[in-house]
Amino acid sequence: MKQTFDVLVVGAGHAGIEACLASARFGLNTLLVTTNTERIGYMSCNPSIGGLAKGHMVREIDVLGGQMGTAADRSCIQYKRLNASRGPAVRGTRTQNDKHIFSQIQRNAILNQPQLKMIEAEVKKLILKDGACLGVVLHDGSEIFAKRTVITTGTFMNGVMHIGLEQTSGGRVGDKASIGLSDQLLDYGFTVQRLKTGTPARLDKNSIDWSKTIPQFGDEKFYPFSYQSKKEFYLPQVECYLSRTSELTHDIIRNNLDKSPMYCGVIEGAGPRYCPSIEDKVMRFADKISHQTFLEPEGLNTNLIYLQGISTSLPADVQDQFLKTIAGLENVKVVRYGYAVEYDYVEPTQIHHHFETRPLKNLFLAGQINGTSGYEEAAAQGFLAGVNAARSVQEKSPFILGRDEAYSGVLIDDLVTKGTREPYRMFTSRAEHRLVLREDNTSDRLLERSSELGLVPTEALDKMAALTEKRRNFQNELEAHVLYPNAETNRKVSEMGSSPLTKPLTAVEFLRRPEIAFSHLEILGVAVDSQDEVRDAVEIEVKYSGYVKKQLEVIRLSKTLGDFNIPNNIPYENIRGLSREEVDKLKKVKPITIGQAQRISGVNPSAIQAIMIYIRGNNLSSPSVLI
Amino acid sequence: MRQLNETKNDDICALATPVGRSAIAVVRVSGPNARSILQGLCIKLSPEIESHKAYLAYVYNSQSEKIDQVLVTYFQNEQSYTGESSFEVSCHGNPTIVKKVLERLIQLGARLAHPGEFTFRAFINNKIDLIQAEAVLSLIESQSDEATKISLRQLDGKVSDLFKKLESEMTWCLAHIEASIDFSTEGIDIVNDSGLIHKLKDLNEELNRLIEGFGHGQIIKYGLKVTLLGKPNVGKSSLLNTLVQSEKAIVTEIAGTTRDVIEAQTQYNGMAIYISDTAGLRETTDVVEKIGVNRSLAEIKKSDLNLLVLDVTEPLSEDFKQNLTLFKGQKFAILCNKSDLINADQKKQISQELAGLIGGVQKLPGSLSFNFGKQVLFTSSIEMACRNDVLNLVLAQFESLDFLDESIVSSARQIEMVNMAKEYVEKSIAELSSGLGSEFIAQTLKDALLAIQKVLGHVYDDQILDRVFKEFCLGK
Repeated sequence: MKQTFDVLVVGAGHAGIEACLASARFGLNTLLVTTNTERIGYMSCNPSIGGLAKGHMVREIDVLGGQMGTAADRSCIQYKRLNASRGPAVRGTRTQNDKHIFSQIQRNAILNQPQLKMIEAEVKKLILKDGACLGVVLHDGSEIFAKRTVITTGTFMNGVMHIGLEQTSGGRVGDKASIGLSDQLLDYGFTVQRLKTGTPARLDKNSIDWSKTIPQFGDEKFYPFSYQSKKEFYLPQVECYLSRTSELTHDIIRNNLDKSPMYCGVIEGAGPRYCPSIEDKVMRFADKISHQTFLEPEGLNTNLIYLQGISTSLPADVQDQFLKTIAGLENVKVVRYGYAVEYDYVEPTQIHHHFETRPLKNLFLAGQINGTSGYEEAAAQGFLAGVNAARSVQEKSPFILGRDEAYSGVLIDDLVTKGTREPYRMFTSRAEHRLVLREDNTSDRLLERSSELGLVPTEALDKMAALTEKRRNFQNELEAHVLYPNAETNRKVSEMGSSPLTKPLTAVEFLRRPEIAFSHLEILGVAVDSQDEVRDAVEIEVKYSGYVKKQLEVIRLSKTLGDFNIPNNIPYENIRGLSREEVDKLKKVKPITIGQAQRISGVNPSAIQAIMIYIRGNNLSSPSVLI
Repeated sequence: MRQLNETKNDDICALATPVGRSAIAVVRVSGPNARSILQGLCIKLSPEIESHKAYLAYVYNSQSEKIDQVLVTYFQNEQSYTGESSFEVSCHGNPTIVKKVLERLIQLGARLAHPGEFTFRAFINNKIDLIQAEAVLSLIESQSDEATKISLRQLDGKVSDLFKKLESEMTWCLAHIEASIDFSTEGIDIVNDSGLIHKLKDLNEELNRLIEGFGHGQIIKYGLKVTLLGKPNVGKSSLLNTLVQSEKAIVTEIAGTTRDVIEAQTQYNGMAIYISDTAGLRETTDVVEKIGVNRSLAEIKKSDLNLLVLDVTEPLSEDFKQNLTLFKGQKFAILCNKSDLINADQKKQISQELAGLIGGVQKLPGSLSFNFGKQVLFTSSIEMACRNDVLNLVLAQFESLDFLDESIVSSARQIEMVNMAKEYVEKSIAELSSGLGSEFIAQTLKDALLAIQKVLGHVYDDQILDRVFKEFCLGK
């Protein structure tokens, strides 16, 4: 039987969910194929969403019409706002989540989504013809045709799990690996390489002596990810617990390194440097006598405890031994042992900014298959890949977020321009415009893009626009309010520990003093907006205006180069002044603008000038569409 | 990344004529703000000047002091070589003046142009065609090739190591700041604010040393300017003639013979030394002499070294102390002249008297520490050894020139970057002390790092993250 869809999504992880929902929400006939319909949006590793930069992306796709924020808010069992005290422009939201409820919400979203159909099946290979992907062949030999295919298979491509020196095929405990897909891509000329990731043991809550651990409480105030969520917790809030490894732990690990697949050279793939296994930590930071670990509940109705920071691929008996040396875990019962996974990823310089692959038309890749790590990185890509697959069916122009608009824009541009050799995680330091890319102004900066996309209902967009307006008005009021240096005012100012006014100041100027907060302005009779979400953004814009302005200026300047398009057929080898190495790099990355070419490492400024001269001199007006 | 952002929309300046001494040197400026920069440079210039006409004007520094009398020509948008608003300044061909003009232009917001950049702009603005552009391109190639060779040569030894060390230390600071932002919950050992401030202060000192070394480098390149100052008739003009081995200045018994500044050049130990004789310092009602005295005073600030000449046969005058205060913040030494007319005991007595007086002067704010043995010399222009003694004394004031030789930054572009780095490092220290959020301090420090990386000619964007991973044990 021949079935035809507009968009076909393979994989129902965090990327796949966003991709198929976005496509179906555009009204396109969409199919989701997964090997396990019970594990939709499963959190394979830590029971947590968000954090610095990652939380930003969850908010970004939410404003654009994504799904993850809603599910994270509704399954949140502990909430934290990071960098709340110092670092006003780099605050980030993180939630601990009930894994089961999260997955349930995602599953329901898929089941209830009109135009979206889900089937349980294994994809064997792609149907390829004339440099384009026409659909997939399932394990039973049946063919599914689709105008666009989005692959989000995570760690499943040739996945191998390691516990000690034992290896089993699979992308995750309980799930089979997908074999064959990466061979087919290899055959087609894709560069496919290997990465490694790992996960810690899951422990039985009842076997832990909690008195030896330190409870960690969440915040009381909840700033949900999604504009759709209530500002009150949906679920009861719980604690996480802090404990530490000891020297004994490290001794046991050191003595058993010969059984670690990482250290015997069994694992070839590069693991994430920001998330090393406990073996790595012990070996690389030998002088540290103890490492901290958080014990995080995986949900409200489960006994499973996630042991943050202690991912390992040592054999089960060694894990048993060293875990018992961690305070509180003396009698611990392990429910599932930690393990490492090695998997194939496609070198991401082979995709376009709109997620379609360069070698194969109509094929889109998103998530870990592009070499990233993290639920949020996957979701952001899945959403944008789904959006672009759908828009491409509708013959609309690609939807690309700029580096100055969103972390999601930084993510795809980094992948496409620089590629990656370790699982790529987003950090605020990757964004050169991070003072502008804040959580508090997510809707301000993406409102217009969202309305261009049309996935968020108009009423919701109007509400966001109203907030932007409110912020602007409040800031204008502060600009207009003048404080005069009279005795009464200066007495109050001195009481605040600030120096007296010597000339009239606007409330904005006064607020720029480091020691002055809104509460002080209120004492001086300045009307202050009561909503946090109005105040916080204005405070940053006002207090740090010099810094913010400087970044905006850099953005303005780089826009000129960002707008300077490079035609896709430019013969780099004919351009005078480029080195062999530069030609190779440029040909591989195929930058679409001068701005992007500049970010390729190893391409010198003089080369950029030479390219500009070539383009101008040959009147190569670049095509308006960037593909 | 900054480098190319600068290829448009900003103002560039450069010396258009060859480096070195010449009758006239031409400095060129191009960019959207050229007109207002010109007004800032020549503050007295009429705002109504016309395009393509030469105007006589004075260039002023930021303290509104005259730097030089110049000819300026302004070119309106699209009617200039670059196709942008631009102007040319023809100043006197003295490297010190050129340096000051360029410094003032940078203060006013321009930056030094990259090789071939004026022509590149002309091309971008459609002022020249492809064939001409090809020529530009080969120019860029050859110049950047040459520039690379030069900077490689220069960055071969100690300088390169020094910059790499600066880069590494700045990266270390940034790694700590970045880690405190992105990994705030991971319980990693991050240096505290006072530790960071300490480190940054060390860095700042290194930068200061480089800037000082640059000054010395300039001296080696362009020679040393020494000025003879003192009361009338103490023998300044005779000294000048002895030092340059030629009868440059008129010498008479009459006090106040020298009315204007007389400059003459000599070579010593491979170094060009420019010596100026000046009108004697005294209160006078003679109009011409008064102008001469003012010119003498103006020479002080322009000199690398001032030599205060005393007549040992005269008692130390009351205004001696006051004369010393003229040298605040400047290098100076004292020549006790006509020493052939006194005996050893008298010399000893004068030395003691001087030492006492100078002890008092030292407490004046801003005055340099004084090394008596090194900064005071008994001279007599009729003695054979006079020339060597004085010139040895002169060079001794710059003795760091000898051991600094390899670690001197000599390019104006490089020192512009070092100055920029220093500005940002100082800003970051102030910001840290005020308890500002880490993300803002990181921005300031990144600007400092970028400036240093531009000197080294490479920018690694993942360098800071790499350092974070190396430095800290992370992992959730």
